[in-house]
Amino acid sequence: MSDTLIEVNDLKIHFFTDEGVVRAVDGVDLTIERGKTLCLVGESGCGKSVACRAFLQIVHSIGKIVSGEIIYHRRVDNNFEETIDIAQLNPKGRQIREIRGKEISMIFQEPMTSLSPMYTVGNQIMENILLHTNLSKEEARQLCVQLLDQVGIPQPHRLVDEYPFRLSGGMRQRAMIAMALSCNPTLLIADEPTTALDVTTQANILDLMRNIQKEYQMALLFITHDLGVVAEIADTVAVMYLGKIVESGDVDTIFNNPKHPYTQALLRSIPKISRTREKLDTIQGMVPNPYRRPGGCPFHPRCTQAMPECSTMVPSVTRFSDGHTTRCLLYENITTKQFAELS
Amino acid sequence: MTNLVQSQSSTLTGVNNDNLMLDVKNLQLYFPITQGVFARVQGYTKAADDVSFFIRQGETVGLVGESGCGKTTVGRCIVRAYEPTGGEIIYHRADGTTVDLAKLQGDELKPYRRDIRLIFQDPYFSLNPRMTVFEIVSEVLKVNKLATPAEMKDRVVALLQRVGLRPEYMQRYPHAFSGGERQRISIARSLITSPRMVVCDEAVSALDVSIRAQILNLLEELQADFNLTYLFISHDLSVIHHICDRIVVMYVGKVVEIADATELFVNPRHPYTEALLSAVPITNPRDRQAVGRIRLEGEIADPSNPPTGCYFHPRCKYAQERCKTETPPLRNLENEHFVACHFSEELELTNVQLR
Ligand SMILES: Nc1ncnc2c1ncn2[C@@H]1O[C@H](COP(=O)(O)OP(=O)(O)OP(=O)(O)O)[C@@H](O)[C@H]1O
Ligand SMILES: Nc1ncnc2c1ncn2[C@@H]1O[C@H](COP(=O)(O)OP(=O)(O)OP(=O)(O)O)[C@@H](O)[C@H]1O
Ligand code: SF4
Ligand code: SF4
Ligand SMILES: [Mg+2]
Ligand SMILES: [Mg+2]
Repeated sequence: MSDTLIEVNDLKIHFFTDEGVVRAVDGVDLTIERGKTLCLVGESGCGKSVACRAFLQIVHSIGKIVSGEIIYHRRVDNNFEETIDIAQLNPKGRQIREIRGKEISMIFQEPMTSLSPMYTVGNQIMENILLHTNLSKEEARQLCVQLLDQVGIPQPHRLVDEYPFRLSGGMRQRAMIAMALSCNPTLLIADEPTTALDVTTQANILDLMRNIQKEYQMALLFITHDLGVVAEIADTVAVMYLGKIVESGDVDTIFNNPKHPYTQALLRSIPKISRTREKLDTIQGMVPNPYRRPGGCPFHPRCTQAMPECSTMVPSVTRFSDGHTTRCLLYENITTKQFAELS
Repeated sequence: MTNLVQSQSSTLTGVNNDNLMLDVKNLQLYFPITQGVFARVQGYTKAADDVSFFIRQGETVGLVGESGCGKTTVGRCIVRAYEPTGGEIIYHRADGTTVDLAKLQGDELKPYRRDIRLIFQDPYFSLNPRMTVFEIVSEVLKVNKLATPAEMKDRVVALLQRVGLRPEYMQRYPHAFSGGERQRISIARSLITSPRMVVCDEAVSALDVSIRAQILNLLEELQADFNLTYLFISHDLSVIHHICDRIVVMYVGKVVEIADATELFVNPRHPYTEALLSAVPITNPRDRQAVGRIRLEGEIADPSNPPTGCYFHPRCKYAQERCKTETPPLRNLENEHFVACHFSEELELTNVQLR
């Protein structure tokens, strides 16, 4: 039996809009190990949320998985494993409904769109518990209060009956986290789960996730803009730019030996708490128009190290020794040069 | 009727009164908790419970604290989206006279809705999807009849250029813009009235690091150009440290510490501030094993039923008997470093090592 939980190969998801085709996810490869944490980072609009929603088959109706596979190694019991290609499942079918919210659950980026304003927080969490377990209503409610308490909601006995709009931004986000954890998932996809949280609450939530991860061997796919959080919790990191993974590797390598110019620029633009306050480094230029993405290397209009060939040649994957990969012509050239020198 | 108040000193002692823009004194907002068919009031959520701080002209003041401690509530009281249930918000006009915004009603607030503006947390939900960028940015001018249509267009074009958006896109709808661009639209909308002060409520939290850096640089440039004053609410302490001159720390509806930004990081005097600073995420995975990081244990205080004495006492590792009964006042330790803790002078708190 493998340690690999999910393998994504060459996943492409395109949106067919009136204004044209948006190639939101354009050939993504990812591996998620059982019980480990993969952090997915990248610029706003690069396709992180779209890619992860595909794991649950909840792509927006105008979007289509046009190619690729999402292989899920589903452990049925301790000595039997089945393999399912989630990309092939019917979004309304029985199989994905069994998986969704139970084996794979997701904390969505926008707490207000995934928590209904019409129902109390408790009812929404209990609904998920009742759907996937044999607990009675009373037991489900107890579990719900216990979960709200674990994620640090004060007075869970009272707030379980509150409507989402009467909670602060961070409390709503914690209610979402409680809901996602309610069925001990094998994979938790957390899309910016801590952006609305203060650092002390965030530290507690990250501890909670780590503990659940240890106890239940839960894998975590964590999407975040906060590189500090990545430094805290990631085992491996994948950096995405315009629908493609441009660099991936273990967390230490990505922070201390990044190869791709985009990863390097990203790490430079974090404000550091230091004595001098200088103007922040930014990545020049704007995110390109999704309908007119640049040819060649998609990063070339903004890359400070771009070479003439970058506007026409699409970089392919370069593999360094230790599972560290990147897509950049700088290294392809080096390897061809080195290769030439060798031969 | 406008409530003219003589310029008076802050409730906080030892404050240099020069250049004050806003003096918030004992601000309170209690939300009623209702239950049952007759919506009987069962109690109150003390979202803001005795908040005092001040902001000087041209300054950036940061407001930080645990989720649910009342930061948004304070910001919304200042722009008078909420009506405070107690306290004062003394606003110093450009001509040197003052007015208590907390007491004003309806039309009396109109001039101040131009002077003090709000940038919301979420660039995705705060823009009406059915309005074009031009309509969004100019709405306040139109509603308040502050400009003729021709002037309006000139002003919108000039401002869009200033915040880095192409004026050609002015007839487009918000969905056609990315998160960073939408936040620029929000900024343009808040600046169109030529305000003196802007309350930024988690204005950059939803943005990725590189776009966030662009927006922070932009906010700093605009501050210099238009002599703006900012109240900056954020969870991100590296952002707060980068952009703020002074920082106000709140805990469960109260201010617990106020200090100059660098001073707060190198010389925190309140145990809650210490815990906050020690929870700042590391910047390199090699620091994971760093020792001495504080995790706040214990139940998070409930603003409808706060603890007795010092609200922080059930979670404070330095708490003593006195803390359970006696509320520590917010007092000036030295040089406008305010703290609400009985033992600030004695405690050896861990700071942040600045390089
Ligand atoms: N329903 C939709 N219709 C058309 N385009 C869409 C739709 N949903 C997403 N897209 C496009 O797909 C691309 C990727 O969007 P996605 O939400 O995955 O970005 P993201 O990386 O999660 O960004 P952020 O960090 O801002 O959340 C964007 O260009 C977006 O405009
Ligand atoms: N409209 C409302 N009605 C009732 N209670 C409210 C309302 N808005 C906020 N509250 C309560 O007031 C308290 C303070 O909320 P507020 O939104 O000001 O917190 P915050 O510090 O901005 O938190 P966050 O960092 O999570 O945004 C919370 O306990 C919240 O539940
Ligand atoms: S391929 Fe060229 S443009 Fe792309 S990241 Fe590498 S150097 Fe920059
Ligand atoms: S007054 Fe007492 S409980 Fe409150 S912060 Fe100071 S030491 Fe801690
Ligand atoms: Mg997203
Ligand atoms: Mg808030």
